[in-house]
Amino acid sequence: MIKGYWVILRFELFALFVSPATYVASFYFLALLGVGFRFFIESFVLTDWILPPLASLVVGLIFGAPALIPFLTMRSFAEERRLGTLETLMSAPVSNLGIVLGKWTASYLFFIFITIASFCFPLIISLWFPEQSHSLGFDRVEQWIGTLIFLLIFGASFSAVGIFASSVTNNQMVAGMLTFTLLTLYLSVMMFYFGENIDSQFTNGPTQVVWSCLGAVFGGLNKMQYFSVGIIDIPTVLYQFVVTFYFLILASTQIDQVKK
Amino acid sequence: MSNERKPLPIVEVLNLRKRYRSTEALRGISFSIGKGEIVGFLGPNGAGKSTTLRILSGLVAADSGEAKVCGVDLAEEEGEVREHIGYLAENNPLPEDFRVIEYLKYRASLKGLKGSRKRERIKSVLEICDLERQISEKRIGNLSKGFRQRVGIADSLLAEPRLIILDEPTIGLDPRQSAITRKMMERLRGEVSFILSSHILSEVEACCDRMIILSHGQIVAEGTLLELQKKFIQSVAFEIVSKAKKIELQRSVRRIDPQCELLQDDPVEITGRRRFTFNCTKGQETVELILRTLLESNNFEISEFQVCRPDLETIFLKATKQNWQEMDLLGRGKNKIFKPQN
Repeated sequence: MIKGYWVILRFELFALFVSPATYVASFYFLALLGVGFRFFIESFVLTDWILPPLASLVVGLIFGAPALIPFLTMRSFAEERRLGTLETLMSAPVSNLGIVLGKWTASYLFFIFITIASFCFPLIISLWFPEQSHSLGFDRVEQWIGTLIFLLIFGASFSAVGIFASSVTNNQMVAGMLTFTLLTLYLSVMMFYFGENIDSQFTNGPTQVVWSCLGAVFGGLNKMQYFSVGIIDIPTVLYQFVVTFYFLILASTQIDQVKK
Repeated sequence: MSNERKPLPIVEVLNLRKRYRSTEALRGISFSIGKGEIVGFLGPNGAGKSTTLRILSGLVAADSGEAKVCGVDLAEEEGEVREHIGYLAENNPLPEDFRVIEYLKYRASLKGLKGSRKRERIKSVLEICDLERQISEKRIGNLSKGFRQRVGIADSLLAEPRLIILDEPTIGLDPRQSAITRKMMERLRGEVSFILSSHILSEVEACCDRMIILSHGQIVAEGTLLELQKKFIQSVAFEIVSKAKKIELQRSVRRIDPQCELLQDDPVEITGRRRFTFNCTKGQETVELILRTLLESNNFEISEFQVCRPDLETIFLKATKQNWQEMDLLGRGKNKIFKPQN
């Protein structure tokens, strides 16, 4: 079913790690995130921020994702299609799903690498300034686990969107722009519904089921308040898994179209 | 019926059809390829060669018909079929950033090769394709067209496939590099079946056991060069270098074939001999009979005799011209049918 997955994953990871564009993007992203985090922590007492300070890192990563994810995913299919190597790849005994999953996992692993790297900022504070770290709540393990899981589930769906965008075009730039647009749109909708209880607008019938599903997807950012204190909201995890699966299947179908 | 036992077919294609929107790329083609055969795929641009090869390599699905590779049906077990095939795509796309050796290792892993067998196969294909150590360490993007083509061929040979499909393998190569490709095919002749699509007719003529000529998605000719010569070129030209007088020679020849025509009569430098070129419409056997008769009579002092065989280009043009004319007629017929009545 997913023949060739491991080989493609290794190859894609290698390709990501040898590409200077990935390093440049990661460096600037982490640098900006670090600077933002420093200023936020410094002025934390002056803000009316109700979530734990660690959640600011999540906000930075989530809203920075439209700029970061395109660098990780735009090459994957668009470049192969431009060079024609997708055809060569498909002539080997590998499955379409194996190709899509291999490429997605590689970009997702890189996202995880950046996420972990960004968690070094609060970790450094914890190690060097234990008192301040304690007052900021950095010593609470449940907060670390919750925010990390929140980032991992959103990273998975964002990477899947990027992989899908890359599969529809043979131009890297177009793929990058499309990823940026789709992710910005997704975040805008989530921001629009931030703080609202969408599914409570309809009381019964099939409309409520639809709204409840959409509400769970679009109201994903609302759930940050749970994750940031260490409460894992399982429906949010499942809904992001569905979004990931949906975009990966779309990408696989798109690759199948090449055969027609 | 010949008693010669036919080799087991590696490829069996039956009534294969493919349509791209309004264009019918393949109109029900059928053919088979035996074990170890080298078959040339010829045809003008848009004839359906690449479509056929892409279907056989599992890259494109056919609309209808049956295609089997090594006895496995492509429609049912596409993945398994790919394990038996080595494919070199037209234009040979390769990733530019990778070293030759890295790329071959990656392709070998994709094809399921592991450990010592993987190392052994990579070493073997590098040797077959004449890619010495210095080249294998270079980046693909820095290689010349010829070396890139060799990398593509090396990749197609990696998993010891039973069928190798080469789509325009020598396009853009210099004669030396083309010769290396031919040498590689010669080396594997009998062990592996090859399908070679090419526009370079001399090359197909030199290395293929059999040719399949496609035009407008149909097979217009199929067979060995000799069979195609017989089918498409009815008249045989032959040359005789002799001291005989023109009239005597012509009379003797016409005694066997009254329609045999003398085309040319040129002196051969200072030897006093002349080169006579005849055209016989009755085929090769009559030409052989003419030669035997002339040699037996001892009056003509024949020093040279040569049958001028029509080359593949002549056959190709004749086979495709016939199809073009048919299609043209069909097209006209269609126009007539759909012509609006005034």
